Amino acid sequence: MTFPAKISAKEHDSELLAAVAAGSRRALEELYLAYHRRLARFLSRFTPRYENVEEIINDTFLAVWLSAKDFRHASQVSTWIIGIAYRTALKSLRRQKHHAAAGSLDDYPEQTFDPTMEAEVQDWLKHGLNQLPVEQRLTLELAYHMGHSLEEIAAITECPVGTVKARMFHAREKLRHYLPHLSGAAYDSSARSE
Amino acid sequence: MTFNPQSSDAREHQAMSSLIPWYVNGSIGEAERQRVDAHLLRCADCRETLAQERCVYQAMNAERTVEYMPAASLKRLQARLDGIGAAAAADGAAREKTGRGSMPWQGAMAASVAVMALALSVLAADRWMQFRAQTAPDYHTVTKPTARAPDEVIRAVFSPTVTLVELQAILDEAGVRIVAGPTEAGCYSLAAESRRPVNSSLALLRANAKVRFAESTQPGFAESTQPGTGPGDIP
Repeated sequence: MTFPAKISAKEHDSELLAAVAAGSRRALEELYLAYHRRLARFLSRFTPRYENVEEIINDTFLAVWLSAKDFRHASQVSTWIIGIAYRTALKSLRRQKHHAAAGSLDDYPEQTFDPTMEAEVQDWLKHGLNQLPVEQRLTLELAYHMGHSLEEIAAITECPVGTVKARMFHAREKLRHYLPHLSGAAYDSSARSE
Repeated sequence: MTFNPQSSDAREHQAMSSLIPWYVNGSIGEAERQRVDAHLLRCADCRETLAQERCVYQAMNAERTVEYMPAASLKRLQARLDGIGAAAAADGAAREKTGRGSMPWQGAMAASVAVMALALSVLAADRWMQFRAQTAPDYHTVTKPTARAPDEVIRAVFSPTVTLVELQAILDEAGVRIVAGPTEAGCYSLAAESRRPVNSSLALLRANAKVRFAESTQPGFAESTQPGTGPGDIP
């Protein structure tokens, strides 16, 4: 049963953040190491460049360090941190948009394609995800990879629940259009299971 | 199954369909889960959507090949925090100094002294630049030299996307082990783990695409060094 472990992880995060608010660099480092992997995975949906991912993570934890004392427990610590990362990444994306040297954002999707990925579905999915606007792509990532609830995603992205549902709806529609073979495979597997 | 868009069935279908992603990821509340379950029993469209979404969910959760190593980036964050701390301390000291009830003429005098000091420092800097231009090489390092770790024979920088398994394989092949690091620039100190000559270990490291930099730090190490790769350039 994972419920108690989940609770204790949340409590541990809260304790760490309280220590960060009190000025503990060690607590900040512990939080950083605990969140680095999932943030890196999440942010790699924004940008294929590791340097950018790292910069966004560090900007996020700089913000955590500076504003930990303002955290009011209105949400979970994880929702708060991922929300900061989300907004930092959007800012970074807008900055890059204004830099001619950074190239067109439309180029990014193609750059994120990893030719070493072997599984066909993953291959198609990755291409399909890269065709989606960033908000839709990240809504899928927050729900399907990070396991966040509808309300948590609304808190992270600072959007109404209806907007999150609409983004998810459009993302699913586009993916379905882009991945016709997925719909066939799904239908087959569904038919077999019934 | 098709619904009249105005009917309550259609509204229920739309509401339940929009919840399927959270039904799939298991974060939906119990009451809503039961409503979706009931709807799925009588809606073939939603059953098909559910199967598709499960496919997407599984594919997105398939294991990724890239593993990040946060130690080097954490060091960079620590350096930024140190900078903020130092700047805040200097700011606080400056405010304390200027805040001690000084007289107007003291301010003017301080300003003139500051202008003189600035002029002198500009002059000195100009002289220093002239001197440097005559003697300095046409490159500069951007990091502080670090002390050589005990037993260190090589310093190396690995690709930030190298996995732990790959890193261990690289070290095993070259017959070295990590004894210190990473530095602020992500540089590791390596010690010899076997009798393999340092030259040979270096060649193996440099031949690996996941190694961005490898250089011997042994005093008097004899190698046909290339420009810009001497010990002074070690990150």
